[in-house]
Parts: sequence; structure tokens; C-alpha cells
Amino acid sequence: MTSVLSNSKHIPMAQQNNTDPLPSALASNLIDNVNTEERLIVLDMGRAVSSTIKYFSQYKCRLNFVDLYSEDFVLDPDEEMSHSKMVNLMRGAINLQQSVKVDICLFWDIFSYLSDPLVKALIESLKQHVDSSTRSLIINPRDSRTMLPFYYYGISGPTLLTQSQRIGVQPSIYPRSQRALNDLIDYFVVDRGRLMSEGRAEYLLFKDNNINSVSSRIGLR
Amino acid sequence: MLSKYKDLIKSADSNSVSPQISTNTESKSALIGSDVKIKGDVISKEDIVIAGEVTGIVQAKSHHIHISDTGILNADITGNVVSIEGSVKGNIVGLENVIITSTGNVLGNIECPRLSLEDGAKFKGSIEMNPLDVTASISHVKANRAASESEKPDIKAS
Repeated sequence: MTSVLSNSKHIPMAQQNNTDPLPSALASNLIDNVNTEERLIVLDMGRAVSSTIKYFSQYKCRLNFVDLYSEDFVLDPDEEMSHSKMVNLMRGAINLQQSVKVDICLFWDIFSYLSDPLVKALIESLKQHVDSSTRSLIINPRDSRTMLPFYYYGISGPTLLTQSQRIGVQPSIYPRSQRALNDLIDYFVVDRGRLMSEGRAEYLLFKDNNINSVSSRIGLR
Repeated sequence: MLSKYKDLIKSADSNSVSPQISTNTESKSALIGSDVKIKGDVISKEDIVIAGEVTGIVQAKSHHIHISDTGILNADITGNVVSIEGSVKGNIVGLENVIITSTGNVLGNIECPRLSLEDGAKFKGSIEMNPLDVTASISHVKANRAASESEKPDIKAS
């Protein structure tokens, strides 16, 4: 069992601009199986940060920043809203052309800020844009009782993410067990999970073409 | 380079130049002042600073376009270098570089070989990046700039 935290002493702790490095054992898998000779399509559900831009600038790519966290329908959800309207809002926020396939999807911790209906709407809105080669990363509390720190995230290397303190009041969190999350994310399957600092875990997801066999192969190490 | 534009805006504001579309011949920069609203196309053949509001198109293909912190653009922008301290809603093409400073707020798609995003900047949209294009793009822009060095500004507004 290898703790991700054990690597942290080897990472220069740059503190400027309140951005800290966050070692990742899974981020390298995002790029590993992708043909970087082709134009990459990257979908980042979070805020645009310089580290992510700099990291992907070495590749021929289209980097899409959605900043779903700032959308009104996420900050102030309407519980009466129909599923189809939620899906439309998600599609509008993601703003991808119908035929675009995403190679890398950085969900960060967005699922923790979405109600179950909104998670389902997000997953449905992405369905046409992901296939079995799409690699996705999420950050989640290790369990439903753990508080989630209030950060926004970026990636600065194959084994290093960045985290920056968010300003303001943290929106409502929707705590879920891993099983509950697995059920919600439908065609996505959790491939691997690793522990992170501050009660978090990172998970690598991919699309299982056999949707009926959504049996997680998850195992935190 | 940005400090040059900030000084230009400050001096224009303090002197209450009217109209606030002016040309600084010394630094070869045009200025759209903070009290100016333009609906139409701004096509410049020299560096341009926008401190006011523009709805339409802004083009200075071989030059630097700077949107100061009071600038509000609802426009597609094409420049050699595009630096943004203000607010932009529209697509941006930076032939050499795009810079979004900490006060910048951009909603739209960006196409450029290099993008700098300062902490605190807000950006929502897509960025088209191709590291292989950087050298070719810069050479192209330098050639264009040399060819248009002596040309005068051409600001059209309606």
C-alpha cells in the first residue's frame, strides 16, 4: 500500500498565490493511453487556472473550461426542475459541438456540489461526448462523513495537481458513499482509486460500453 | 508593456480629452477612452488601448490590443498580442500571445499559440493550442509588423 501523501516531502511547496501542489497517483493515467499526436480534447469542469493551461500547452489540444461551479443552476438548484431541462442546462454549460469526443475529462470535485438529479443530468449530457478511450478524474471525500475542503484544482504535471483555496462561502455538499456515486454515474466505471490528503480520494473513471455491468472495480490503495 | 498603456489611460482621463479617441503619435497607440461607447468595427493598424465599451469587432492583426480594467467588450478580437484587464464577451485570436490579467473576465473561445492567465482571472470557454504553431506564427506576425510599420490607424465606428 503506497500513500500518496508520502511523496509530498519531495515536492517543492510553492505557496505563492495560495496555490499548493497536490500529488496525484492517477493523473498520469489521463495521458498514458491517449494518442498525443492527435489533437486532444480536454474538458475541465472547473475554473481556468494557469497550471492546467501551461500543462496542456505542450500538446496540440482544445482545452474547454466549463466552470460548472459558477453556474446559477448549480449554486441555486431548482428542485422542481425537470430532468430534460437540467440536461439542456448542462449541455449549454458544457457547450460542445454534438460530434466532439472528449479525450480527457477533469471533473475534480464537482459531483460533491451537485444533487443526485444534477449528477444524472451531467452524466446524460456527456454521454455523446465520451467513449471507452475517454479518461476522467474525480476527487471525492473518502467517505460520506468526511468534509470536503473548499478548493479549485488544476494539473501541473503527470503526478502533480494544484489546489487553490476558493474564496467565499462553500456551497452545499452532497455527501455520498462510493456505492451511491457509482450508481449515479451510470455508464462510467471507477477504474482505480487512491487516497489523497485532507480526507479526499481521487478516482479514475472510464466509460464501460456494457452499461449493464456497472460493477465497480474500485479499490482504494 | 502594460505600464505604458496604463500611463496612457491615466493621462487621457486626467486631461479629459474630448473626444477620447486619440492617437499617441510618440508611442503609436490609439486610445478609446473610458467614456467612449462604440457600436461597430474597430480596425487599427497600430497598437490600441480600449478603456471604454465596444460592441462589434476589434482588429489589429499585427499589433497589441490592450483592454484596460474599465474596458467592456462584446466583440470578437483579433490582434498580435491581446492583453485583457477588463471584461470581454467574444472570441479572441491572438496571433502571438493572449494575456488575461488578474482582473480580466473573459467569456468566449481563444485561439493562440501562447496564453498567460494570471491568478484571479476569470475565463470560461475553450482554448485552441498548438505548440508547433508558435514559431511559425511569431515569424508571420513579425513579417506583417515590418510591412505595416508606417501605416496610420483606421478606426471606424458607427
